[in-house]
Amino acid sequence: MKRRDFLKTSAISSSALLAPAFLRAYNPQRLYNSRAERILVVVQLSGGNDGLNTIVPYRNDLYYQQRPSLAIAKEEVLPVSDELGFHPAMSALQSLYDDGLMSIVNNVGYPNPDRSHFRSMDIWHTASRSDEYLSTGWLGRYLDQACIDCEQAHVALEVDDALSLALKGEKRSGFAMSSPAQLKKMTDNRYLQLIADHPHEHEENVAYLYKTLIDTQASADYLASQARVHRSTVDYPATEFGRDLKQIAELITADTDTHIYYVSLTGFDTHAGQQGRQQRLLQQYSEGMKAFMEDLRQNKLINDTLVLTFSEFGRRVSQNASGGTDHGTANNLFLMGGNLRRKGFFNEGPDLTDLDEGDLKYRVDFREVYASILNKWLQADALEVLNGRFAGLPLI
Amino acid sequence: MASSQKQGLLTRFPKEAKITKFYGPKVKDSLNLGGERRDIKPPKGIVVKRTNFGNVDRNSSRKTWTPVYHKSNDMQQIKHLYWRAGFGLSPTAWAERRNWSVQRAVEQLFAEAAKDQSIRNAIAAASGPFENFSEMSQMSKDERRKEARKKITADTADWIQMMADERSSALKHRMMLFWHGHFACRVLQPNLALKQLAVLEEHALGNFRDLVLGIARDPAMIRYLNNQQNRKDSPNENFARELMELFTIGRGNYSERDVKEAARAFTGWSSNLRGEFVFRRFQHDFGSKTFMGKTGNFDGDDIIDMLLARKQTAVFLTRKIYRYFVNDKVDEARVQELAESFYSSGYDIGRLMRNLFSSDWFYAPQNMGTQIKSPIVLLVGMMRTLPTEFRDDRTFLILQKALGQMIFNPPNVAGWPGGQSWIDNSTLMLRLNLPVYLLEAGEANLRPKDALESDSRGGRLRKLDARIDFSRLENWLGAQQPAAAAKELAEYLIVRPVQLPALLAEGLARQSDTARTLPMMLVGVMSLPEYQLC
Repeated sequence: MKRRDFLKTSAISSSALLAPAFLRAYNPQRLYNSRAERILVVVQLSGGNDGLNTIVPYRNDLYYQQRPSLAIAKEEVLPVSDELGFHPAMSALQSLYDDGLMSIVNNVGYPNPDRSHFRSMDIWHTASRSDEYLSTGWLGRYLDQACIDCEQAHVALEVDDALSLALKGEKRSGFAMSSPAQLKKMTDNRYLQLIADHPHEHEENVAYLYKTLIDTQASADYLASQARVHRSTVDYPATEFGRDLKQIAELITADTDTHIYYVSLTGFDTHAGQQGRQQRLLQQYSEGMKAFMEDLRQNKLINDTLVLTFSEFGRRVSQNASGGTDHGTANNLFLMGGNLRRKGFFNEGPDLTDLDEGDLKYRVDFREVYASILNKWLQADALEVLNGRFAGLPLI
Repeated sequence: MASSQKQGLLTRFPKEAKITKFYGPKVKDSLNLGGERRDIKPPKGIVVKRTNFGNVDRNSSRKTWTPVYHKSNDMQQIKHLYWRAGFGLSPTAWAERRNWSVQRAVEQLFAEAAKDQSIRNAIAAASGPFENFSEMSQMSKDERRKEARKKITADTADWIQMMADERSSALKHRMMLFWHGHFACRVLQPNLALKQLAVLEEHALGNFRDLVLGIARDPAMIRYLNNQQNRKDSPNENFARELMELFTIGRGNYSERDVKEAARAFTGWSSNLRGEFVFRRFQHDFGSKTFMGKTGNFDGDDIIDMLLARKQTAVFLTRKIYRYFVNDKVDEARVQELAESFYSSGYDIGRLMRNLFSSDWFYAPQNMGTQIKSPIVLLVGMMRTLPTEFRDDRTFLILQKALGQMIFNPPNVAGWPGGQSWIDNSTLMLRLNLPVYLLEAGEANLRPKDALESDSRGGRLRKLDARIDFSRLENWLGAQQPAAAAKELAEYLIVRPVQLPALLAEGLARQSDTARTLPMMLVGVMSLPEYQLC
């Protein structure tokens, strides 16, 4: 791992050929490498996680009035401040919090919030205004900017069968695979391997298809071999999300040429019977994250990694008639890693006396968070990626 | 077809009796085309470096090949026309029409389209489509949502099957698919989806004004763009804005004031519980409005007329049609020329399309076989050309999801961006593997992405449940030598000229089981990246 320190100075898109010659000899990978030493992991909680029952305002009477049967009882909350505490299923996350590996940003959202899952998710993915439709994602545009000459297709990797809008750029896009094995199954089609070398025309779209095929096969081979380099010794929860995180940790530890990972946990759309379902999901999430951060810590990678967790919106302050909550607006968001500027709570919890038709008002625009990550963590130009001026926040 | 398993409101076309020869898939039998298996295990921690991998120009001389067009260019033109104005030809139609003149083919396409009203017929034949609403009111909100989703899935499957049915007009349905992307609308109530389709069908090749007026009164669109909430006291600008930005005149040709005033003109345009358009007088703003420099007591129809009176609307639409039907790269001179006559015809869509398909430049080499098929065009193309029948609605649903185009569920009101955005590593690998899944019963193992309301991601689709009718291809190609047959097949299935890999011929020569020859040949041709283009 020592070479990480040597290479820290290399900027994202600078050619690795600028690295001292002895390093190249030492690690041939670097010849093809263009990644910074910093890793970003994005965790998406799909469906709209109920933030109020995640970080609970357990001293707030309004919270208990609005949620007569759904509020988390004071004595069950895991308190971390005078006002706020974790959902009881999140003791694992609390320990990360106690270790100073977590920042919680409250009241994150955007002006004129949209309560449709798909639209609001698009807004988060594309970093657009709520009245604007973009067909590229914020990480895709980052790739367009920082990675236009990157040789590998897997610089940004989504652990899923399909690629999210967040990772689609104009010229460059991320790479999707649910596992190296599943990906290999698709590229192991022997005929396709032969076709990749088949002579073809110079026509733009023909060439584009062949290039994507060849790149995918190369990445599949590479990722399959990378997946065998390191076996994690940490216990992850035996869930799909746990396996996905373990996969990511193993690839990071193997020093894979990927510096953005994207993973989702879905099922948070709790219109009915929220209690049991959210409890299961939050437990999966926090135990998974605990194992993941522990894994990174053991491999001395925790300072090189930043994890962002978000959901497309929070939920209404008051519960509905079916023991659930309906789509809301502003929500909390988590950052994890060893390099956080403000550990613990970044800002105050939600103000339940100042609502917008029963929904929380946002105080922090999510694009400010993206701007901080782009500028400070990925050393990119947020102005260009976000199509607007967001100064960023002192997060990292 | 076991129609009892289907949920759709549309009754399927009665199928004529036909002999379907079905080769039972052999599960473990994967395409054996010979050749050395490439060593794919690189040493630990080493990047696999392959020739041409990396930043090397992939069009280096070794791999580039300049095609020599087939002698009979007309045949390629026919192929091009039927792919762009439809979804390709069935084997029978190909045999019959490949030597037709373009002019004759264009006439025939429009004659077929004029007769086709399959959606409206199917709706009329279905018994009381709206009785389901009262039935559904007994259910809980959750059950209703699930039931509605199931019905939309089924209706979508029905529409896809109509597109693929040889007896329906390919041009009509291709136009409807275009308009569905243009008037992109996420529909949550199944009855409303059908209603909207009927509007698209009626005016697909008719007058654009009628089409816009129909869409402005369409309950699904009214709900999608929040015109339900557009009331005199609290106007909602969503519909008015998209009407201008995306449906008619395009950005940069109107002011924010115009949006506000237009929104006022559409106040009270709403729909009732039975899914019918209603004009709510008391919510309508009858006051005077100033729109694009004119002042009067305008209503929605006036706004639409004023938008169509601007030539920019004709240009905006024509450019979009050019992108969709001709080439992503727009030739502005052609667009202006077409738009001019579109405008002076009073927005006659049929005439515009006839102009386009009859132009010389439509058949220029740079326009033929250079467009990436949308997922629906890809699927419907397979269904028409092989022909293939998918046997359950879920297969359609999961394929649409995995390939990135779900009918009645566009990414947003701007529709599907199309072109290269259809392709990323996962969608390309799925597209290239589809022939294996279809023809060799290869394991697809697809997982749908968004199951927001359950903890699990929903079941995987392990195999595609499809039935392929090989009989027509067999009759056509059965007597030929495999290598020659493969060449003819490639000429039939792929618009651009391609070279078949030598290994395909070798593999075919070695294949002793004659029943496997045709599937192998099809996989060999349809797995070529060029098959993704039309």
